[in-house]
Amino acid sequence: MSPRLAVLGTIVQLELRQRIRSVSWLVLVSVVFVLVGIVTVLLWFALPAFGSDDLASAGIYSTLIFFVLLIGSLVTPATSGAAINGDRDAGTLATTQVTLVTTTQLVLGKFLAAWTVALTFLAASVPAMLFTVIVGEVRPDTLVASLGVLVLLLGVVAAVGVGASALITRPLFSVVTTYLVVAALSVGTLIAFGLGSLAAQTTVSSTYTPLNYDESVFDGEEGRWTTIVCGEPQLNSYEVPRTDTVWGFLAANPYVVLADASPPVWDEWGNPRDLFGGIAFAVRAAQQPPEPPLDYDECADARGEGGQQWQQGPTPREIYDASVPSWFVGLAIHLALGGGMLAAAIARTRTPAASLPRGSRVA
Amino acid sequence: MTIAPAISAAGVARSFGDVHAVRDASFTAHFGQVTALIGPNGSGKTTLLLMLATLLKPDAGEIRIDGHDPVTDARAVRQVTGWMPDVLGSWGSLTVRQSIETTARLYELSPADARARATELIDRIGLGPLADQPSRVLSRGQKQKLSLARALVHRPRVLLLDEPASGLDPAARVELRVLVRELAADGAAVLLSSHVLAELDEMSDAAVYLDRGATASAESVDRARASARRWRIRALDAAALTAALADAGRPAVGADHLGALVEVTGEADAAALLTHLVSAGVGIAAYGPAVGDLEQTFLDLAKGGER
Repeated sequence: MSPRLAVLGTIVQLELRQRIRSVSWLVLVSVVFVLVGIVTVLLWFALPAFGSDDLASAGIYSTLIFFVLLIGSLVTPATSGAAINGDRDAGTLATTQVTLVTTTQLVLGKFLAAWTVALTFLAASVPAMLFTVIVGEVRPDTLVASLGVLVLLLGVVAAVGVGASALITRPLFSVVTTYLVVAALSVGTLIAFGLGSLAAQTTVSSTYTPLNYDESVFDGEEGRWTTIVCGEPQLNSYEVPRTDTVWGFLAANPYVVLADASPPVWDEWGNPRDLFGGIAFAVRAAQQPPEPPLDYDECADARGEGGQQWQQGPTPREIYDASVPSWFVGLAIHLALGGGMLAAAIARTRTPAASLPRGSRVA
Repeated sequence: MTIAPAISAAGVARSFGDVHAVRDASFTAHFGQVTALIGPNGSGKTTLLLMLATLLKPDAGEIRIDGHDPVTDARAVRQVTGWMPDVLGSWGSLTVRQSIETTARLYELSPADARARATELIDRIGLGPLADQPSRVLSRGQKQKLSLARALVHRPRVLLLDEPASGLDPAARVELRVLVRELAADGAAVLLSSHVLAELDEMSDAAVYLDRGATASAESVDRARASARRWRIRALDAAALTAALADAGRPAVGADHLGALVEVTGEADAAALLTHLVSAGVGIAAYGPAVGDLEQTFLDLAKGGER
C-alpha cells in the first residue's frame, strides 16, 4: 500500500475509533436492525391485503430502501457535522495537521469515515433486504440502481456535514446547518414544488351548452328528445396549477432521485407495484401540461351527437414511459453539492492558514 | 559540518484582524541547544510557534526550519519538526499506546516501526502504567506527557514545545528537564516557551525575549544583562553584615525574610564583594542572585519597553 493511502486509511480508522466504536453506537444500529425487521414483517402481512401477493416483496424492498435513506439522513448530519470544528475544539486538529497528513487526506479521510458510518445502517438492513430479494421478485436492475443511488446519496449527506464542519466555527451550528440542507432537499423541494405550482396557475375555460328543459320535449315512448331547444352557452373559467413548469424542484429531492432511478415494477393494468414506481409516476405525471379543458354540449348530447369529448386516459405506465427521467439531473445536483462542500472544506482547512474563521484559533 | 541555524526567523509578523499578535520577531536557534522563548501572557509566543510549526502563514517576514520554508515546503519542515501545543487535546477513546502509534502512522512510519516507537516512547516518557488506558482518563500532567511523546514520535531534529511544563508536578518537571537536555545533547534544537522563568533558567542555553509581539534585540538583552541587579545575602549575624556592607560602601538596598539585598553589577563585582565580606569576618550562610537571570533580564527589558 502506498504511503498516501496508508495515511488516508489511518485517518479513517482514527475517525471510526473516535466516533463510533462505542456501545451506544452498537445499540443504535441494533435498534435499526430490529425496526427494519418489524417493518418488513408488517408489510409482508399488509401488502397482500391489497391483492399483490407475489409482488409484495418489491413493495417491501422499495420501502426498506426509503427507510434506510430516511434513517441515514437523520443520523449522518450528527456524526459528520462536527468532524473538523469538533476536532479543532478538542485540540486534536492541529496536532494532526503538523504530521505528514495533507489537508486533502485529512478531509477525505473524515468524509470516508462519515460515509462508512452512514452505510452501517444499510448494512443493518441487508438481512431484511436479502429476504425480499430471495422470496420475491426484485428485479436485478432495480436492486443495483436503488442500492447504488442510496449509497451515493448517503455519501452526499456525509460530505455536506464534513464541509459544513470546516466552514462553520461552532459544531452546533454546522450540525444544524447540515440538517437544514438535508431538510431543504427532502422537504423544501416539496414545498417549493407545491407553492410554485400554485403560483404558476393558469386560467382555462370551458363551455357548457345546456338544454332548455322547459321548452324541450322528451318522448318517453320513443325514448328520445322530440323537440330540442338549446340554452345559452355558458363560459366557465377556473384556475389549474401548472406543475409542468415547476416539476424541476422535485428532481432535486433525494427520495425522487432514488425512485426515478430505480426501474419500477408494474401490474397488468399499468399501475406501479412498488414505492419507486409510485413516486416516479407522480413526478413524471407532474411533467405533463394540464389536460385541455373539456367542453360539454348537453344539447348535442340530446341530439345523440356525443356532447362530451371523453376519452380513455393513459395508464400510469404509459405516462411514465412517455416522459423524461430526471434522476441523473437530481443526482448530479447532489454530487456537485457534496463535491463542492468537500472542496470548500479542503480550502478552508489548508495549512499554513492565511485567514482563520472569526473567533477561532488554529490550535 | 554545517553551521546553518536550526530555526531562523527574520521580521516575522502575523495579525488576526486588528490584533497584531506578532509584530516583528527575529531570532535564531541552533542544533544541540535549548533556546527559551520568554514573554508574558499574550506576547505572541504561541502565535510565533504556530508559524514555526507550519500551521499559520506569516503576514510578513521569513522563517527557515533546517533550511526549509514552512510556507512553501511545509512537508519538509513537518518531517524534521516536532510540535507540542499549549492546548491539550487527545483522542479520548484511543489508549495512550494507540494515540502514539496513530501519530507515528500519520508520520508515515510502517505499522511495525510505529509499534516499536510507541513502546520505546512510553518507556522513555514514563507512561508505562497508563499505556493501555483510554487517554480521556488521563490527568492534565499525564496528557502533557502524552503530548510530548507524540511530538517526539518521528525523531524530530527541531522541537517546538509550547509551555511543556505547565501542569507537571515537581518530579515530572525534573524528568522533563533531563529529557530536554538529553534531546539537545543528541543534537536536536529545542525551542521551548514558558512564563515560569526559574524553570527555563535551569535548562536553557540561550533565550529569545518576546514582548508585545516583538523580539528584543541582542544589544538590549546585553544591556539588560549588564545592568545592576540584586543579590541576596544571609549572614549568621545580621548586625555584623550591615556593618561590613557599610564599611564596603555598599549599603543594603532592602531586606526580605531571607536576607539583605544588595545592588551588584556583574559576577566579578559579586565575587569581590563576597571576598570583602568574608575577610571582614562575617559568617555568610547564603549568597546569590535574588531573582533568576532570565527573570531579571526579562523584567529589565519590560521596564525598558515601558520607558
